[in-house]
Amino acid sequence: MDGVHDMGGMHGFGPALEPGGELAYHERWEPRVFAIQILVGVEGLGAGPGGRAVREEMDPARYLAATYYERWLYSAEQRLLRKGTIAPGEIEAMKERLEAGEATPVHRDRAMADRILANLRAEDPMEPPPPDARFARRARVRVRRMHPKGHTRCPRYARGAVGLVEAVRGADRLPDRAVYGEKVAPEPVYSVAFRSEDLWGPSEEPGWTVVLDLWESYLEPA
Amino acid sequence: MTAVDDHHHPRPPSAVELRAQALEALLAERGLVSTDAIDAVVELYENDVGPQNGAKVVAHAWVDDGYRERLLTNANQAIAELGFGGAEGDNMVVVPNTPAIHNMIVCTLCSCYPWPVLGLPPTWYKSPPYRARAVSEPRAVLREFGLELSQEVEIRVWDSSAEVRYLVLPMRPAATEGWSEDQLAAIVSRDCMIGTAVPLVAGPART
Repeated sequence: MDGVHDMGGMHGFGPALEPGGELAYHERWEPRVFAIQILVGVEGLGAGPGGRAVREEMDPARYLAATYYERWLYSAEQRLLRKGTIAPGEIEAMKERLEAGEATPVHRDRAMADRILANLRAEDPMEPPPPDARFARRARVRVRRMHPKGHTRCPRYARGAVGLVEAVRGADRLPDRAVYGEKVAPEPVYSVAFRSEDLWGPSEEPGWTVVLDLWESYLEPA
Repeated sequence: MTAVDDHHHPRPPSAVELRAQALEALLAERGLVSTDAIDAVVELYENDVGPQNGAKVVAHAWVDDGYRERLLTNANQAIAELGFGGAEGDNMVVVPNTPAIHNMIVCTLCSCYPWPVLGLPPTWYKSPPYRARAVSEPRAVLREFGLELSQEVEIRVWDSSAEVRYLVLPMRPAATEGWSEDQLAAIVSRDCMIGTAVPLVAGPART
Protein backbone atom coordinates (compact mmCIF):
# COMPACT_ATOMS: atom_id res chain seq x y z
CA MET A 1 0.00 0.00 0.00
CA ASP A 2 1.14 3.51 -0.65
CA GLY A 3 1.48 4.51 2.98
CA VAL A 4 3.90 6.64 4.96
CA HIS A 5 6.14 3.62 5.52
CA ASP A 6 7.21 3.93 1.86
CA MET A 7 9.73 6.66 2.66
CA GLY A 8 12.29 6.61 -0.14
CA GLY A 9 12.87 10.17 -1.34
CA MET A 10 10.58 11.94 1.13
CA HIS A 11 11.69 15.35 2.38
CA GLY A 12 11.47 17.04 5.74
CA PHE A 13 12.60 14.38 8.19
CA GLY A 14 15.81 16.11 9.22
CA PRO A 15 19.31 14.75 9.89
CA ALA A 16 20.05 11.04 9.65
CA LEU A 17 21.83 10.89 12.99
CA GLU A 18 20.10 12.03 16.11
CA PRO A 19 21.14 11.61 19.76
CA GLY A 20 20.63 8.02 20.83
CA GLY A 21 20.33 6.86 17.24
CA GLU A 22 23.32 4.53 17.51
CA LEU A 23 21.53 2.14 19.85
CA ALA A 24 19.27 -0.68 18.67
CA TYR A 25 16.86 0.20 21.48
CA HIS A 26 16.73 2.29 24.60
CA GLU A 27 14.38 0.60 27.03
CA ARG A 28 14.04 -2.96 28.28
CA TRP A 29 10.50 -3.42 27.02
CA GLU A 30 11.57 -2.87 23.42
CA PRO A 31 13.53 -6.10 22.77
CA ARG A 32 10.83 -7.96 24.74
CA VAL A 33 8.19 -6.68 22.33
CA PHE A 34 10.46 -7.69 19.47
CA ALA A 35 10.59 -11.21 20.98
CA ILE A 36 6.82 -11.31 21.54
CA GLN A 37 6.14 -10.35 17.94
CA ILE A 38 8.41 -13.19 16.75
CA LEU A 39 6.74 -15.63 19.15
CA VAL A 40 3.30 -14.59 17.88
CA GLY A 41 4.43 -15.79 14.47
CA VAL A 42 6.37 -18.90 15.44
CA GLU A 43 3.76 -20.12 17.92
CA GLY A 44 0.86 -19.38 15.57
CA LEU A 45 -0.85 -17.00 17.98
CA GLY A 46 -1.71 -14.33 15.43
CA ALA A 47 -3.78 -13.95 12.29
CA GLY A 48 -3.82 -11.72 9.27
CA PRO A 49 -0.84 -10.72 7.18
CA GLY A 50 2.56 -10.70 8.87
CA GLY A 51 3.62 -8.05 11.34
CA ARG A 52 5.12 -5.87 8.67
CA ALA A 53 1.96 -5.59 6.57
CA VAL A 54 -0.04 -4.88 9.73
CA ARG A 55 2.33 -2.09 10.74
CA GLU A 56 1.81 -0.54 7.32
CA GLU A 57 -1.92 -0.38 8.06
CA MET A 58 -1.34 1.93 11.04
CA ASP A 59 -2.90 5.36 10.87
CA PRO A 60 -0.19 7.41 9.11
CA ALA A 61 0.02 10.10 11.79
CA ARG A 62 0.34 7.42 14.44
CA TYR A 63 2.93 5.48 12.42
CA LEU A 64 5.16 8.55 12.20
CA ALA A 65 4.69 9.52 15.84
CA ALA A 66 5.40 6.02 17.14
CA THR A 67 8.85 4.74 17.97
CA TYR A 68 10.00 1.67 16.11
CA TYR A 69 9.08 -0.87 18.75
CA GLU A 70 5.77 0.85 19.46
CA ARG A 71 4.89 -0.18 15.92
CA TRP A 72 5.93 -3.73 16.70
CA LEU A 73 3.74 -3.66 19.81
CA TYR A 74 0.87 -2.48 17.64
CA SER A 75 1.34 -5.29 15.11
CA ALA A 76 1.68 -7.95 17.84
CA GLU A 77 -1.57 -6.76 19.46
CA GLN A 78 -3.42 -6.57 16.17
CA ARG A 79 -2.41 -10.05 15.10
CA LEU A 80 -3.41 -11.49 18.49
CA LEU A 81 -6.76 -9.72 18.35
CA ARG A 82 -7.47 -10.85 14.79
CA LYS A 83 -6.88 -14.47 15.73
CA GLY A 84 -8.98 -14.10 18.86
CA THR A 85 -6.04 -15.09 21.06
CA ILE A 86 -6.77 -12.00 23.11
CA ALA A 87 -9.99 -9.99 23.26
CA PRO A 88 -10.44 -6.22 23.17
CA GLY A 89 -9.96 -4.69 26.62
CA GLU A 90 -7.84 -7.50 28.03
CA ILE A 91 -4.54 -5.64 27.78
CA GLU A 92 -6.11 -2.65 29.55
CA ALA A 93 -7.49 -4.93 32.26
CA MET A 94 -4.07 -6.51 32.84
CA LYS A 95 -2.49 -3.06 32.89
CA GLU A 96 -4.86 -2.03 35.68
CA ARG A 97 -4.02 -5.15 37.67
CA LEU A 98 -0.29 -4.48 37.35
CA GLU A 99 -0.73 -0.83 38.24
CA ALA A 100 -2.71 -1.90 41.31
CA GLY A 101 0.39 -3.78 42.44
CA GLU A 102 -0.29 -7.36 41.37
CA ALA A 103 2.79 -9.43 40.74
CA THR A 104 3.67 -9.81 37.06
CA PRO A 105 2.73 -13.32 35.90
CA VAL A 106 5.65 -15.44 34.77
CA HIS A 107 5.36 -18.56 32.62
CA ARG A 108 8.25 -21.00 32.42
CA ASP A 109 8.55 -23.19 29.32
CA ARG A 110 12.11 -23.95 28.30
CA ALA A 111 10.91 -25.98 25.30
CA MET A 112 9.36 -22.85 23.84
CA ALA A 113 12.65 -21.01 24.31
CA ASP A 114 14.46 -23.80 22.47
CA ARG A 115 11.85 -23.74 19.71
CA ILE A 116 12.21 -20.03 19.12
CA LEU A 117 16.01 -20.18 19.20
CA ALA A 118 15.99 -23.02 16.67
CA ASN A 119 13.66 -20.95 14.52
CA LEU A 120 15.94 -17.90 14.65
CA ARG A 121 18.98 -20.01 13.80
CA ALA A 122 17.31 -21.66 10.80
CA GLU A 123 17.37 -20.27 7.28
CA ASP A 124 14.61 -20.34 4.72
CA PRO A 125 16.29 -19.33 1.46
CA MET A 126 14.52 -18.40 -1.75
CA GLU A 127 14.24 -21.08 -4.38
CA PRO A 128 16.88 -20.95 -7.13
CA PRO A 129 15.95 -18.79 -10.11
CA PRO A 130 14.03 -20.69 -12.79
CA PRO A 131 15.84 -21.30 -16.09
CA ASP A 132 13.00 -19.56 -17.94
CA ALA A 133 13.16 -16.27 -16.06
CA ARG A 134 11.69 -13.59 -18.29
CA PHE A 135 14.59 -11.18 -17.93
CA ALA A 136 18.30 -11.88 -18.17
CA ARG A 137 21.20 -10.00 -16.67
CA ARG A 138 21.66 -6.60 -18.38
CA ALA A 139 18.04 -6.62 -19.65
CA ARG A 140 16.37 -3.20 -19.68
CA VAL A 141 13.23 -3.24 -17.57
CA ARG A 142 10.65 -0.69 -16.50
CA VAL A 143 8.91 -0.80 -13.16
CA ARG A 144 5.19 -0.96 -13.77
CA ARG A 145 2.89 1.87 -12.80
CA MET A 146 0.72 0.60 -9.98
CA HIS A 147 -1.20 1.80 -6.97
CA PRO A 148 -1.81 -1.28 -4.82
CA LYS A 149 -4.08 -0.97 -1.80
CA GLY A 150 -2.41 -3.87 -0.03
CA HIS A 151 1.12 -4.80 0.97
CA THR A 152 3.75 -4.43 -1.73
CA ARG A 153 7.53 -4.39 -1.96
CA CYS A 154 7.57 -2.12 -4.96
CA PRO A 155 8.49 1.31 -3.61
CA ARG A 156 6.72 4.31 -5.12
CA TYR A 157 9.93 6.05 -6.06
CA ALA A 158 10.89 3.34 -8.56
CA ARG A 159 7.58 3.07 -10.43
CA GLY A 160 7.84 3.99 -14.08
CA ALA A 161 11.63 4.10 -13.94
CA VAL A 162 13.86 2.13 -16.30
CA GLY A 163 16.79 0.13 -14.98
CA LEU A 164 19.09 -2.73 -15.85
CA VAL A 165 18.81 -6.21 -14.40
CA GLU A 166 21.91 -6.70 -12.29
CA ALA A 167 21.21 -10.25 -11.12
CA VAL A 168 18.48 -12.85 -10.92
CA ARG A 169 18.47 -13.54 -7.19
CA GLY A 170 16.07 -16.44 -6.89
CA ALA A 171 12.37 -17.25 -6.95
CA ASP A 172 9.95 -16.18 -4.26
CA ARG A 173 6.21 -15.83 -3.76
CA LEU A 174 4.86 -12.40 -4.63
CA PRO A 175 4.33 -10.79 -1.21
CA ASP A 176 1.48 -8.62 -2.52
CA ARG A 177 -0.62 -11.81 -2.56
CA ALA A 178 1.30 -14.28 -0.41
CA VAL A 179 1.06 -12.26 2.81
CA TYR A 180 -2.74 -12.52 2.59
CA GLY A 181 -2.54 -16.29 2.47
CA GLU A 182 -2.94 -16.74 -1.28
CA LYS A 183 -1.18 -19.79 -2.67
CA VAL A 184 0.99 -18.31 -5.40
CA ALA A 185 3.87 -19.94 -7.21
CA PRO A 186 7.36 -18.49 -6.70
CA GLU A 187 8.45 -16.08 -9.41
CA PRO A 188 11.88 -14.64 -10.23
CA VAL A 189 13.24 -11.83 -8.07
CA TYR A 190 15.70 -9.49 -9.76
CA SER A 191 18.19 -6.93 -8.53
CA VAL A 192 17.59 -3.96 -10.80
CA ALA A 193 20.05 -1.07 -10.98
CA PHE A 194 18.75 2.44 -11.59
CA ARG A 195 20.71 5.58 -12.39
CA SER A 196 19.89 8.33 -9.93
CA GLU A 197 18.82 10.68 -12.75
CA ASP A 198 16.20 8.15 -13.83
CA LEU A 199 14.71 8.10 -10.34
CA TRP A 200 15.12 11.67 -9.16
CA GLY A 201 16.01 13.85 -12.12
CA PRO A 202 18.95 16.24 -11.86
CA SER A 203 20.79 16.44 -8.56
CA GLU A 204 23.53 18.51 -6.98
CA GLU A 205 25.33 15.29 -6.14
CA PRO A 206 27.27 13.43 -8.82
CA GLY A 207 25.18 10.55 -10.14
CA TRP A 208 24.80 7.39 -8.07
CA THR A 209 23.16 4.01 -8.50
CA VAL A 210 20.23 2.60 -6.58
CA VAL A 211 19.68 -1.15 -6.70
CA LEU A 212 16.27 -2.55 -5.80
CA ASP A 213 15.15 -6.16 -5.48
CA LEU A 214 11.94 -6.55 -7.49
CA TRP A 215 9.60 -9.44 -8.21
CA GLU A 216 8.97 -10.19 -11.88
CA SER A 217 5.34 -9.06 -11.57
CA TYR A 218 6.57 -5.52 -10.89
CA LEU A 219 8.53 -5.34 -14.16
CA GLU A 220 7.93 -5.02 -17.87
CA PRO A 221 10.41 -4.91 -20.78
CA ALA A 222 11.74 -1.45 -21.65
CA MET B 1 6.31 -0.76 41.19
CA THR B 2 8.94 -2.61 43.12
CA ALA B 3 12.26 -1.21 44.24
CA VAL B 4 14.00 -3.36 41.66
CA ASP B 5 11.94 -1.81 38.91
CA ASP B 6 12.68 1.62 40.29
CA HIS B 7 16.35 0.89 40.00
CA HIS B 8 15.95 0.15 36.28
CA HIS B 9 13.52 2.99 35.66
CA PRO B 10 14.58 6.25 37.22
CA ARG B 11 11.54 7.81 35.55
CA PRO B 12 8.05 6.39 35.78
CA PRO B 13 7.33 3.94 32.96
CA SER B 14 5.72 5.42 29.89
CA ALA B 15 2.24 4.46 28.73
CA VAL B 16 3.69 2.29 25.95
CA GLU B 17 6.02 0.52 28.36
CA LEU B 18 3.10 -0.29 30.68
CA ARG B 19 1.14 -1.55 27.71
CA ALA B 20 4.04 -3.76 26.58
CA GLN B 21 4.39 -5.16 30.11
CA ALA B 22 0.66 -5.81 30.24
CA LEU B 23 0.71 -7.69 26.94
CA GLU B 24 3.61 -9.87 28.08
CA ALA B 25 1.87 -10.49 31.41
CA LEU B 26 -1.39 -11.42 29.70
CA LEU B 27 0.28 -13.91 27.37
CA ALA B 28 2.37 -15.37 30.19
CA GLU B 29 -0.65 -15.77 32.45
CA ARG B 30 -2.38 -17.77 29.72
CA GLY B 31 0.73 -19.87 29.15
CA LEU B 32 0.89 -18.76 25.52
CA VAL B 33 4.31 -17.15 25.65
CA SER B 34 7.02 -18.22 28.00
CA THR B 35 9.11 -15.75 29.91
CA ASP B 36 12.20 -17.87 29.16
CA ALA B 37 11.51 -17.69 25.43
CA ILE B 38 11.39 -13.90 25.56
CA ASP B 39 14.54 -13.81 27.70
CA ALA B 40 16.27 -16.18 25.26
CA VAL B 41 15.55 -13.97 22.24
CA VAL B 42 16.71 -10.83 24.04
CA GLU B 43 19.90 -12.55 25.20
CA LEU B 44 20.58 -14.02 21.75
CA TYR B 45 20.79 -10.58 20.14
CA GLU B 46 22.50 -8.96 23.12
CA ASN B 47 25.23 -11.57 23.57
CA ASP B 48 25.67 -13.87 20.59
CA VAL B 49 24.48 -12.16 17.45
CA GLY B 50 25.80 -8.74 16.54
CA PRO B 51 28.26 -6.84 14.37
CA GLN B 52 31.14 -8.72 15.97
CA ASN B 53 30.05 -11.63 13.74
CA GLY B 54 30.14 -9.59 10.56
CA ALA B 55 33.52 -8.15 11.55
CA LYS B 56 34.94 -11.69 11.74
CA VAL B 57 33.58 -12.43 8.28
CA VAL B 58 35.18 -9.27 6.88
CA ALA B 59 38.52 -9.83 8.60
CA HIS B 60 38.65 -13.41 7.36
CA ALA B 61 37.90 -12.26 3.81
CA TRP B 62 40.75 -9.73 4.11
CA VAL B 63 43.35 -12.38 4.92
CA ASP B 64 42.08 -15.28 2.82
CA ASP B 65 41.50 -14.66 -0.88
CA GLY B 66 39.80 -18.00 -1.37
CA TYR B 67 37.34 -17.16 1.41
CA ARG B 68 36.74 -13.72 -0.09
CA GLU B 69 35.88 -15.37 -3.40
CA ARG B 70 33.46 -17.78 -1.71
CA LEU B 71 31.92 -14.91 0.25
CA LEU B 72 31.24 -12.94 -2.91
CA THR B 73 29.85 -15.90 -4.85
CA ASN B 74 27.94 -17.79 -2.14
CA ALA B 75 27.66 -15.59 0.90
CA ASN B 76 25.40 -17.88 2.93
CA GLN B 77 27.77 -20.80 2.65
CA ALA B 78 30.84 -18.68 3.41
CA ILE B 79 29.19 -17.02 6.41
CA ALA B 80 28.11 -20.46 7.66
CA GLU B 81 31.76 -21.58 7.50
CA LEU B 82 32.37 -19.20 10.42
CA GLY B 83 29.34 -20.53 12.27
CA PHE B 84 26.92 -17.70 11.58
CA GLY B 85 23.49 -17.74 9.98
CA GLY B 86 19.79 -17.66 10.69
CA ALA B 87 16.69 -15.53 10.42
CA GLU B 88 17.01 -12.45 8.21
CA GLY B 89 20.16 -13.92 6.74
CA ASP B 90 18.39 -16.44 4.52
CA ASN B 91 19.58 -14.86 1.27
CA MET B 92 22.83 -13.03 1.90
CA VAL B 93 24.68 -11.04 -0.74
CA VAL B 94 28.02 -9.40 0.09
CA VAL B 95 28.89 -6.30 -1.91
CA PRO B 96 32.59 -5.35 -2.03
CA ASN B 97 33.83 -1.78 -1.88
CA THR B 98 36.57 -0.97 -4.37
CA PRO B 99 38.54 2.21 -5.09
CA ALA B 100 35.82 3.01 -7.68
CA ILE B 101 32.65 1.82 -5.91
CA HIS B 102 31.26 2.48 -2.44
CA ASN B 103 28.25 0.45 -1.33
CA MET B 104 25.66 1.34 1.26
CA ILE B 105 22.56 -0.45 2.48
CA VAL B 106 19.09 0.77 3.33
CA CYS B 107 15.55 -0.49 3.61
CA THR B 108 13.27 2.36 2.56
CA LEU B 109 10.05 0.42 3.22
CA CYS B 110 10.86 -1.08 6.59
CA SER B 111 14.01 -2.06 8.44
CA CYS B 112 15.41 -5.13 6.65
CA TYR B 113 18.88 -5.87 7.91
CA PRO B 114 21.17 -8.93 8.03
CA TRP B 115 20.60 -10.00 11.64
CA PRO B 116 23.02 -13.00 11.77
CA VAL B 117 26.03 -10.84 10.92
CA LEU B 118 24.99 -7.42 12.25
CA GLY B 119 22.44 -8.10 14.98
CA LEU B 120 19.47 -5.77 15.35
CA PRO B 121 19.68 -2.47 13.46
CA PRO B 122 20.54 0.84 15.10
CA THR B 123 17.69 3.30 15.58
CA TRP B 124 18.90 5.60 12.79
CA TYR B 125 18.70 2.75 10.26
CA LYS B 126 14.99 2.26 11.05
CA SER B 127 14.12 5.95 11.25
CA PRO B 128 12.49 8.14 8.59
CA PRO B 129 15.50 10.40 7.76
CA TYR B 130 17.85 7.59 6.73
CA ARG B 131 15.12 5.59 4.98
CA ALA B 132 14.01 8.67 3.04
CA ARG B 133 17.39 10.11 2.14
CA ALA B 134 19.83 7.21 1.61
CA VAL B 135 18.38 6.60 -1.86
CA SER B 136 17.81 10.24 -2.83
CA GLU B 137 20.87 12.07 -1.47
CA PRO B 138 23.41 9.47 -0.34
CA ARG B 139 26.41 11.79 -0.29
CA ALA B 140 24.65 14.25 2.00
CA VAL B 141 23.76 11.37 4.31
CA LEU B 142 27.29 9.98 4.31
CA ARG B 143 28.64 13.45 5.09
CA GLU B 144 26.45 13.50 8.21
CA PHE B 145 28.14 10.25 9.21
CA GLY B 146 31.51 11.95 8.71
CA LEU B 147 32.27 10.14 5.47
CA GLU B 148 33.33 12.35 2.57
CA LEU B 149 33.97 10.33 -0.59
CA SER B 150 35.83 11.51 -3.66
CA GLN B 151 33.51 12.79 -6.41
CA GLU B 152 34.85 10.05 -8.69
CA VAL B 153 33.66 7.22 -6.47
CA GLU B 154 30.37 5.70 -7.62
CA ILE B 155 27.94 5.20 -4.76
CA ARG B 156 25.74 2.14 -5.03
CA VAL B 157 22.77 2.14 -2.66
CA TRP B 158 21.16 -1.24 -2.08
CA ASP B 159 17.50 -0.88 -1.08
CA SER B 160 16.60 -4.22 0.52
CA SER B 161 13.08 -4.38 -0.90
CA ALA B 162 12.83 -8.19 -1.11
CA GLU B 163 14.29 -11.04 0.96
CA VAL B 164 17.93 -10.52 0.00
CA ARG B 165 20.01 -9.10 2.85
CA TYR B 166 23.17 -7.21 2.05
CA LEU B 167 26.49 -6.81 3.81
CA VAL B 168 29.18 -4.39 2.67
CA LEU B 169 32.70 -5.78 2.43
CA PRO B 170 34.85 -2.72 3.15
CA MET B 171 38.32 -2.24 1.72
CA ARG B 172 41.17 -3.26 3.99
CA PRO B 173 43.04 -0.11 5.02
CA ALA B 174 46.66 0.28 4.12
CA ALA B 175 49.02 -0.03 7.09
CA THR B 176 47.38 -3.19 8.38
CA GLU B 177 49.90 -5.61 6.91
CA GLY B 178 50.67 -8.42 9.26
CA TRP B 179 47.72 -7.76 11.53
CA SER B 180 45.96 -10.74 13.03
CA GLU B 181 42.32 -11.41 12.17
CA ASP B 182 41.34 -10.27 15.65
CA GLN B 183 43.18 -6.98 15.18
CA LEU B 184 41.53 -6.51 11.80
CA ALA B 185 38.06 -7.37 13.07
CA ALA B 186 38.46 -4.69 15.76
CA ILE B 187 38.51 -1.92 13.14
CA VAL B 188 35.43 -3.21 11.29
CA SER B 189 32.53 -1.36 12.86
CA ARG B 190 28.87 -2.03 12.24
CA ASP B 191 28.63 1.14 10.16
CA CYS B 192 31.48 -0.06 7.92
CA MET B 193 29.34 -3.05 7.00
CA ILE B 194 26.23 -0.91 6.38
CA GLY B 195 28.36 1.42 4.31
CA THR B 196 28.02 4.63 6.32
CA ALA B 197 31.67 4.42 7.44
CA VAL B 198 34.96 2.97 6.31
CA PRO B 199 37.53 1.22 8.52
CA LEU B 200 40.11 3.58 9.88
CA VAL B 201 43.50 2.94 11.41
CA ALA B 202 44.28 5.34 14.23
CA GLY B 203 47.91 6.25 14.68
CA PRO B 204 50.80 4.01 13.72
CA ALA B 205 49.96 0.44 12.84
CA ARG B 206 50.03 -1.97 15.75
CA THR B 207 51.81 -5.23 15.20
